[in-house]
Amino acid sequence: MSENSIATPPGTTSTFSAELRRVPGVAWILGLLVLVFALASRDFLSAPNLLNIGLQSVILLILALPMTMIIMTEGVDISMGAVLTLASVVLAWVLAHDGSLPLALAAALVTGLAFGVGNGMLVALLKMPPFVVTLGTMGVAQGLALLATDGQSIVVSNDSLQAVYAGSFMGIPQTLLIGAVVYALSHWLLYQTRFGTYVFALGGNPDALGLAGIRANYYLIAVYAFGGLMAGLAALILTSRMSSGHPTAAIGMEFDAIAAVVVGGTSFEHGNGWLFGTLLGVLAVGALRNGLNLLTVASSVQVSCIGLLVIVALLIDGFKGKK
Amino acid sequence: MKMKTLASLITIALLSPLAHADGEKIAVFTKNLTNPLFAEIRAGADNAAKQMNATTQHYVPTKPDSIPEQMSAIEDVVVKKPDAIVFIPVDSKAMVAGVNKINAANIPVVNINDRAAGGKFVSFVGVNDYDLGLETARFLLKNLGGKGNVVIIEGVKGASTNQDRIRGFKKALEENPNVKLLASQTGNYQRNQALSVMENLMQSFPQIDGVLAANDAMATGVIEALAAANRKALVIGVNGTGIDEIKQGKLLATGDYKGFQQGCLGTMAAIRHLRKLPVPAELMFPPNLITQANVQSFLVPKDKMVCPKWEDVVKK
Amino acid sequence: MNDAIASGRLMARLVDLKTIGYRLAAALAICLVLAAASDVFLTTNNLLNVLRQASLLFLLASGLTLVILTAGLDLSVGANIGMSACIAASVIKLTGSAMLGAATGVGVGLAIGLLNGVLVALMRMPPFIATYGMLWVVHGVTYWFMAGTTIYGFPAAFRALGSGYFLGLPIPVYLMFVFLALGSFFAQRTTYGQEIYAIGANREAARLSGVPIAKRLILVYAVSGAMAGLASLVFLARMNSAEGDIGEAFTLPAIAAALIGGTSLFGGVGTVSGTLVGALILTLVLNGMNLLTIDASWQPLVTGVIVLLAVFFDALTRKGGDGRQ
Repeated sequence: MSENSIATPPGTTSTFSAELRRVPGVAWILGLLVLVFALASRDFLSAPNLLNIGLQSVILLILALPMTMIIMTEGVDISMGAVLTLASVVLAWVLAHDGSLPLALAAALVTGLAFGVGNGMLVALLKMPPFVVTLGTMGVAQGLALLATDGQSIVVSNDSLQAVYAGSFMGIPQTLLIGAVVYALSHWLLYQTRFGTYVFALGGNPDALGLAGIRANYYLIAVYAFGGLMAGLAALILTSRMSSGHPTAAIGMEFDAIAAVVVGGTSFEHGNGWLFGTLLGVLAVGALRNGLNLLTVASSVQVSCIGLLVIVALLIDGFKGKK
Repeated sequence: MKMKTLASLITIALLSPLAHADGEKIAVFTKNLTNPLFAEIRAGADNAAKQMNATTQHYVPTKPDSIPEQMSAIEDVVVKKPDAIVFIPVDSKAMVAGVNKINAANIPVVNINDRAAGGKFVSFVGVNDYDLGLETARFLLKNLGGKGNVVIIEGVKGASTNQDRIRGFKKALEENPNVKLLASQTGNYQRNQALSVMENLMQSFPQIDGVLAANDAMATGVIEALAAANRKALVIGVNGTGIDEIKQGKLLATGDYKGFQQGCLGTMAAIRHLRKLPVPAELMFPPNLITQANVQSFLVPKDKMVCPKWEDVVKK
Repeated sequence: MNDAIASGRLMARLVDLKTIGYRLAAALAICLVLAAASDVFLTTNNLLNVLRQASLLFLLASGLTLVILTAGLDLSVGANIGMSACIAASVIKLTGSAMLGAATGVGVGLAIGLLNGVLVALMRMPPFIATYGMLWVVHGVTYWFMAGTTIYGFPAAFRALGSGYFLGLPIPVYLMFVFLALGSFFAQRTTYGQEIYAIGANREAARLSGVPIAKRLILVYAVSGAMAGLASLVFLARMNSAEGDIGEAFTLPAIAAALIGGTSLFGGVGTVSGTLVGALILTLVLNGMNLLTIDASWQPLVTGVIVLLAVFFDALTRKGGDGRQ
């Protein structure tokens, strides 16, 4: 924050205690879910199951962290699932054509970054509504993925790819490590850099802060670019998990990410964002899905439960807001 | 009434870890909650389990055909360790990684319906889509007198069921050089998409004598489009879900996909394997057609259907 | 204050006329290209087809347009169609009465819409996420209600709603024009309509000038829900069958139709007639792709590009004298 020349935005002053005060909403939900599932299923708190929840949540977390920042700028990116899918197809295609894993990953990252920068430019420079822009680019990404694969899976038999999801580094599963690194990176970006300062300011009120200018645009583009880049990174885990690229694998996942962000307490207005809340939100979604599976709750009831989770989380935050 | 069922569902769900059923626990994986075919397969699995004093647990993605969701469900199930698994992959290639996880946990798994491209299975139970497509198409072309104009309505492009059925259709067309294929468009296995596609095709082609649809949902969409335009064509589908349309004479024939029996035999194979009874590595139903001639025997409602005896189906 | 709103409305109406003009020109251009590329495009039957296919999309998108005018969004319309259709279908099957079934269908749609309205207006939830939660809840209940079955075969009187003709035109097309007239009148000529535009343009100013925000918000979500219920009946009558997931494919095209038609997600800008043109453009393109037997894999890509083009065009024409950001 040392080189910060702009008035400190409200969010960045939040200390640990201020963050704690915000805990209840999502933490209550997560705590309640864990309690109920732990009582109802012997398996829920077992080490392999907790590891499962963690592993299953990483892709969603990698999307939800940049999504938190995008929502903080009063934007949204609904192309993320389609971009992730396209990047996964690109990654699988490069590997299937004897490319190396680093080359394939680079191709996936570039794909994601290109879409992110494109989204950002349309939003920032042309002042087009983020939902419409990303609705359009979602169609483009999804269409390209379908056309590139002719609707079929691209199967990859590459040991180093498989090792990404299944392998571990110094006893810790690599997928969890990637998630942790992305979390740390996001935290650093949002709370320690000028980039973060602008993210908070863009959502608060860009005009009042005298931010409407080339520099603000530059950072707005950067926020969407980060989102695209992370979608490219998530493609590595998704592709490794399936050992293949599939043209519809992650379609619609952006909505899960948005739900997790909102469950985590980030609001669509006023640039209130909270990365730790997003982490809890992602874990709440993961724990709910996992627990319902363990209890073999009928799938139609599971569908409704996910909607209820979102609505209940908003209700709790709404009531807290009134007090 | 609804609330009561909901409450009892939740109660059952909450109590299930405490209440130990007698027989084996079989986890059944299907693709979605919306296609009637999978409802039949689940009913067959339940019926077979009941007959053999075992229990089933169903795992269905909340988003239809979602690969990540089925993958997560596998990881969750591996923790729970059911005695055996009856498995339909949402994607035959992308789910191989999931099958490998089941194999690694040493849980016996029977593949039904849609054949996975890899992994170790106790058995495969299903219908050969190529043969079924071929036989159904042959029946249509025979009824057309080996001549005329036809269109194909394809299912989801990447689905192996669709590719095999379309291959069967095209083989039958090769056998009948006097039949002209006007167009082959996809309806994505959806009734409404097939309806729109057919409406548009009827504009392009004033004379369509026959329609080959890759499933019955699309065939019924085609039938609605024909009726609305006051045009006539012979229509066939595949799956055996358009029974009523056949009875009414609107659908010429459907390839019997035997969803209920697939569920039955798949589950029986899993239980028999656990009980050390012999199970063949592959159990294929012959490609049967449902037509006006034999439709009467298919009018049993789903909840009244009973699984056939294993010995009656699997002959030495 | 009211003067300000009124003069703002006049300006907006001139802008609306211009944007609709451009869009009609675009639709005509697409028609010309298709007429040149396919000799069956300009047949009466095909044009009626286009109108009929567009009518369903329009019915759904018109209600949604009112929601978007308040700077809101309703992601649950597709799920709403599924549930309304399934419950209406089972009522028709149980009672044999098409009227009762139709009333139930619209009633279910209305109820879902009201619930959305309450969540958004009284609980102050962001529309995007409240209706997304509702989408899942409605889907779950529908899946449970249907248990993977299909309900089909309805009385001819009911079927006419979707596939019948009157004086040579399909009945849904009449519905489309009736609701175009009703919707336009409601939005442009009534106080309710003015207040809805005012809420979208500047909620705080609207509140200060005495607009009952919560009531109007509940109204638009209820209308959107009821229109989804009505669309479900047309769909049901045309398909002659109901399944749990039938509505899902409509949500994003309906939103796209409103946006292509010039309705702004920022609120306060757009018209019901623009949405009609948007629905026509989308339908024309898909119809053309079918006529030219272009692979369906191109559809998402083409739809995406059209959405981007429409909004890009708006961004360009808006430069200079833009009142609303």
